[in-house]
Amino acid sequence: MIQLNWRTGIAGLFAGTGIALSMTASSLAQEINNPGLLVHAADDEPTTLDPAQVEPGEGGETVILQVYDRLLDIGPASPELIPSLATKVPSTDNGLISEDGMIYTFPIRGGVIFHDGSELTAHDVKYSWDRAMAMDLPEGNAGALIDAIDSTDVVDDYTFRVALKEPSASFLNSVVVSMVASIVSEDAVEANGGIQAGSPNTFMAGNMVGTGPYKFAAWNRNENIQLEVFDAYWGDNANLDVRIEIGGDPDVRVLGLRAGEFDTVETDPSFIADLEGAEGVTIYSGGLLLEPLHIGFNLNIPESALPDEDTIPANFFHDPRVRQAFNYAFDYEAFLNGPLAGYGEFNSHYIPIGIFGHDENAPRFAAQDLAKAEELFRDAGYWDEGFSVSVITEEGNLFALMCLVLKDSIEKLNPKFRINVLAVAESVFDDAHSQNPLEYAMWAKNADPAADPDFYMQAYIHPDGEWGEVHGFSNGYRDGEAVASLIDQAAVELDPGKRAAIYSELQTLLYEDPMWLIAAQEGVVMAHRDWLKGFAMQPLWPRPSLKFALFNK
Amino acid sequence: MQLRDYILRRVIILPILILGVSIIVFVLTRVGGSPIGIYLSHEMTPDEVAQIEARFNLDQPVWVQYIYWARGIFQGDFGWSGVAAAPVTDVFPNKLAATMELAIASGLVAVFLGISLGTYAGARRNRLPDHATRIVAVSGASLPQFWFGILLLIVFWANLGLAPIGRSDASIWSSISHPTGIYTVDAILAGSISAFWDAIWHLILPALTLGYGATAIIARMMRSSLVEELQQDYVDAARAKGLAERIVLRRHARRNALVPTVTVIGLTFGFLLQGTITVEIIFRWPGLGRWMADSVLRGDQATLMTYVLFTSVLFLLVNLVVDVIYAYLDRRVTLGK
Amino acid sequence: MTESYKPSLQPWQSGEARESALRVRLNRFMGLIQRLVSNPTTVMGLAVIVSMIGIAIFAPWIAEPNFPDPYQMPRDWGAVRKPPGTPGHILGTTNVGGDVFYGVIWGSRKSLQLSLMVVGSTVVIGTIIGSLAGLLGGWVDEVLMRIVDVFLSIPELIFALAIAAVLGPSFTNIVFALSVVLWVKYARIMRAQVIQTKQNEYVDAARVIGDSKLNIYLRDILPNSITPVTVQATLDMGNVVLIGATLSFIGLSEAGIAEWGVLVSEGQAGIASGRWWASTFPGLMIFLWALAFNLVGDGLRDALDPRTEGR
Repeated sequence: MIQLNWRTGIAGLFAGTGIALSMTASSLAQEINNPGLLVHAADDEPTTLDPAQVEPGEGGETVILQVYDRLLDIGPASPELIPSLATKVPSTDNGLISEDGMIYTFPIRGGVIFHDGSELTAHDVKYSWDRAMAMDLPEGNAGALIDAIDSTDVVDDYTFRVALKEPSASFLNSVVVSMVASIVSEDAVEANGGIQAGSPNTFMAGNMVGTGPYKFAAWNRNENIQLEVFDAYWGDNANLDVRIEIGGDPDVRVLGLRAGEFDTVETDPSFIADLEGAEGVTIYSGGLLLEPLHIGFNLNIPESALPDEDTIPANFFHDPRVRQAFNYAFDYEAFLNGPLAGYGEFNSHYIPIGIFGHDENAPRFAAQDLAKAEELFRDAGYWDEGFSVSVITEEGNLFALMCLVLKDSIEKLNPKFRINVLAVAESVFDDAHSQNPLEYAMWAKNADPAADPDFYMQAYIHPDGEWGEVHGFSNGYRDGEAVASLIDQAAVELDPGKRAAIYSELQTLLYEDPMWLIAAQEGVVMAHRDWLKGFAMQPLWPRPSLKFALFNK
Repeated sequence: MQLRDYILRRVIILPILILGVSIIVFVLTRVGGSPIGIYLSHEMTPDEVAQIEARFNLDQPVWVQYIYWARGIFQGDFGWSGVAAAPVTDVFPNKLAATMELAIASGLVAVFLGISLGTYAGARRNRLPDHATRIVAVSGASLPQFWFGILLLIVFWANLGLAPIGRSDASIWSSISHPTGIYTVDAILAGSISAFWDAIWHLILPALTLGYGATAIIARMMRSSLVEELQQDYVDAARAKGLAERIVLRRHARRNALVPTVTVIGLTFGFLLQGTITVEIIFRWPGLGRWMADSVLRGDQATLMTYVLFTSVLFLLVNLVVDVIYAYLDRRVTLGK
Repeated sequence: MTESYKPSLQPWQSGEARESALRVRLNRFMGLIQRLVSNPTTVMGLAVIVSMIGIAIFAPWIAEPNFPDPYQMPRDWGAVRKPPGTPGHILGTTNVGGDVFYGVIWGSRKSLQLSLMVVGSTVVIGTIIGSLAGLLGGWVDEVLMRIVDVFLSIPELIFALAIAAVLGPSFTNIVFALSVVLWVKYARIMRAQVIQTKQNEYVDAARVIGDSKLNIYLRDILPNSITPVTVQATLDMGNVVLIGATLSFIGLSEAGIAEWGVLVSEGQAGIASGRWWASTFPGLMIFLWALAFNLVGDGLRDALDPRTEGR
């Protein structure tokens, strides 16, 4: 009996191999794999597909970008805003922004159909924004809307009006185009659970009803997400259906691209470098990600909270010389040429290259200067005694490598200096990182992307800002009030020339008084198959900065 | 009578073991801290964190949380998987089917390889082919599977284009219905030959990687029981009757040697089950193992706990069945003698 | 204690008899060695093990230790992703400029540490608990064995993975996780052996004489029970490194240390792109290590197996 079973099973296996071989042979004969379908190998699985719940920088944003539209959009070529569901970009010149900068009016496009067949009106727009603000999910980005908006109004079916709490130079760039401001179908939400303050909508987390060029087809958890071309799209129709392959080993993604199974893949730049010269593969590189890779200094370490190995005093980073010394000691070239494989730029400033207000002439840290670092450590009084400090980060990615470069840089400087790299699982890091006060002296990650300098300044530089408060910047700035007032001024300055001048001044000031060690600004690079036409990337779109609707094969 | 008591005792003890496992699993995951990490993003304020804590009852004492969890399980609620962004029970059945299909296919490979190698070696005891076969079999158990798998992929997928990756061709897969979630079975039910070959074709490399690892256990057992059988009197008798050595081996010795080998096949189950973790990662097989690995790294405790509990219960049941079969065979053997 | 039974007339208690018992044991041991050596695969395994341990011992002379921590990979950020044969990097470098040769050499120390620490601690713990259960019997046995059953019902790798994940990625945590998981095997083997040997005549006899329990245990039960533990321990010396490497591959390793599993998983990043060396060499070392111990363990099991003994 047993004999019979395994024998027939094996016979089947061999027959299967034979058929399989002949099948591949025929599929190899074709020029283009998967015609009519774009296969994108993504890094992460989304945690939600609901614009009101998605966290900026998270995998779900990629899908939301394709399936939902927003009032305004950013085109592939330049950072300029372009109309989308609103037919005009509001400005004071065209009268759609009131003189005092408080009221924004959006004319809404007519004849736009949702994927469920209902028609878009200004009511859907108001509903979408009000919904996100009412749910106010802690994981999502509703705060961006809530902080800026005083009230929303439907003037008529095709006119939508917003009143702000205070004038803002960045409302259009950082709020209206963000994924949380995506327009969802009121009918679809109301038919599936409606709005509940403080709790996620399970239908919307796993389904999508938008107006975008793609409609949502399926999400096979841990496997793939499928999108179909939406034929009744108001703009130019997309060409290819999309299958997003989720997760898995990064090496396998690269193999798949080589084999022509995948058309585009997300990986670290170091993988891309290996693909140079690969047959049938084009490497696209252009522009920079807007997520500076940084190491944070904690100036607000709670009493005896540090790991046992750490010998530094709690006020270690209060001394600007120590922060400068770290910035001088870091081996920028090693990081750029090693882990980043040359894809990136030195930019030690918190206003990324490519963002309004970045001053390319401002002084910056770009090369290791060990002599200067030694001098500063001597002045600060740590040279002879030495120190040991831990830096916490997520394991298995660029951040961990950044920490290793820091470790090698600092330990090379003086054998009495020790850096312990604690590379932990992402969830452990997130947990540690969300504590206030933070129980580690240093941590490494990247910044959240934004389209306006004010976001970076508020979040990462302002002494009363989000990180300013957690890290206790007021304990260490040479002149914290000057920093704060410059940032506050720039936030409400509507004249671009004057605004840029303020940001230049800030950059010069912060060079002498760095609150972060910014290792590099990572380059935007992606490898794709040659047969993919119309390839474009826009760093202002959420990672991986692609709109699939633009592509063809 | 004795056998019935034995089975009864094992069955009575089963719930106690499951309770023990559930406590270990729960305590273990909670030792590492609150499962809250996966639900957090790094810019939340303490108030927001507290909100999330309350949403998942994480503000209660640990034992109360255990009761919540255990009660949930009895009601079919295994919690919310942060990794899959869905309730664990929504995602589990499909992934389970994928993993089982892979494990069973690998089991077939292991049984085929193990029995062939074992027979080959047993019949040539202590000669060069025996030693060579032993090295081949033991190599399977000594290869790091994540390493071996990727070598196979490079050769057969990326360079030769002879094998695919993943579980199925999406266009073929969507052309048939999937009542069981086990693609080969679905294809047979749908009567689609192309879907069946597609499923088999996707199975070959991962099943080979995993199955080769489990070969050594079976080959070893087969070899030693064959060696033993070949020294029995009936073999000499058969030889004396002038039967060809091949016939003696195939008709008599191998058939009898298979009986103890069958019981050892059950032992490979645990090996295959845990082997799916790395093999699924490498071959993009959308099963439980890959989901588990993701969950481990991202601190998705609901999934982790369900997975460990589930595999343990499964493992317990399989072991129970194997032991009962073994006890039955053993009894028959003693009775026979 | 000894005096109490010296006057006894029982032949197996006299010094002479003891000596001959020793001789029997010695003969048995020599026979075992002979059987082991007669199996070429076992000899091969032994040769590999000896050279691996040699590499581990002489590591500082083969590859100059990295300062300040020799178990950290030396990183040459100016020479990343260099192929084998590059001057100064005979087996090439990793994507962070780590010297693959250094990792291969010093990784043998890490593997030796891992397997000795895990196998050592689990054998000791397992032997003690298994012996207690077997010797004392009754409710102690019942409770201990139910705990063992619970541990055994979770598949090894999955259990170790869960523990290591909870504790966070580090080498020490992998050692700890594997130890927590693997001791139960020894406890179970030991208990069965103790119960079996306890029933042997000479133990009964010693008990009749009034020999102390501890003495009986140390002198008669333990040596007679330890052989199957030795087989399992040999097999585990290899398997521990294999499981440890798997945990590293999944992502529970310590960044930047010279350990084979870590190197394979970091080196995996380049295989698809032709940078085969960073993971192939350490992968080969893991394979050889596990193969060697498996072959020796297998040979040992055969040599001790009463069914095949002497045939």
